[in-house]
Amino acid sequence: MIYFAVIHYKKGQLNGVEVLSWIIIWVTAIFIVAFPEILRTYAKTFFVTRVFDLMVLGGFILVISLVSAAYLKSKRNEKKLEELIRKIALKDVNKRNK
Amino acid sequence: MKIFIVVPAFNEAKRIGGVLSGLEKTKLPVVVIDDGSSDRTFEIVKKYKVTVLRHKINLGKGAAMKTGAEAAFSMGADAVIFMDSDGQHKIEDLPQFVKALKTGKYEIVFGSRNLGLGMPLERYIGNKLASVLVNLLFGIYVSDLISGYRALTRKAVEKINWESTGYGVETEMVVKCARLGLKHCEVPVATVYYDKFKGVSIIDAIGILFDVFRWRITK
Repeated sequence: MIYFAVIHYKKGQLNGVEVLSWIIIWVTAIFIVAFPEILRTYAKTFFVTRVFDLMVLGGFILVISLVSAAYLKSKRNEKKLEELIRKIALKDVNKRNK
Repeated sequence: MKIFIVVPAFNEAKRIGGVLSGLEKTKLPVVVIDDGSSDRTFEIVKKYKVTVLRHKINLGKGAAMKTGAEAAFSMGADAVIFMDSDGQHKIEDLPQFVKALKTGKYEIVFGSRNLGLGMPLERYIGNKLASVLVNLLFGIYVSDLISGYRALTRKAVEKINWESTGYGVETEMVVKCARLGLKHCEVPVATVYYDKFKGVSIIDAIGILFDVFRWRITK
């Protein structure tokens, strides 16, 4: 996934901050998978018995926030597209009325 | 009062010619919005003496109606009558809308189909249940919620300013009519169903149902 992030960065589809964020996310994920014990302290803090449960919980939070952000963004783009298409369609009528 | 007919169209090359031929006899100005059709709808409409606009891509009925109404108002319309492009609405019913608008008493005139006037039983039952639900949630009873045959004054369009881009637009109009306290009436209209697979599908209906609850909570 780091490879894909870098490829998209090279294609200019991701900026420096975005690619760095993704690299940090994936490196963190690799560490957590390799050394799950790192999370033991945090699991206790959040009153979660097993480390695995904490990882699932974290995964859910991440997925829900990403889906919400993607939903809002697609709604915004849909609205912009609608406005643009309608504006182009109405251009001829406005010309005729002038 | 200057009244325009607004016809949103999507892939109706087969039937729109007949609709426009009929509309020419009414002498009312007509605006057609081709909503990104992939067939010859646009080319066919251009042969008639109507104003034709085109959405480069398909946005949905609600968006096409909005574009059509905006175009009509920019050409001096005081009110618009929306009509479907598949020929299911009868030209003979138009005078009822014109008459109701010209009384000056109503801001919205809803066309209502019913069993005796050609509506299939399953659609009739679904429609009635939806009308009852909207009545319970918003306190307005319109016997045919999703009929596309309806007339609105310029003020009503501006006040309603619908956000639905798809088939939810008709229901949203009714909901906002109740919310804004707009004066409305219904006129009976005849309907001919040519195509079983066009128009509001069950999936669209479920989407509209969700929207109705969303509008109850949010607006």
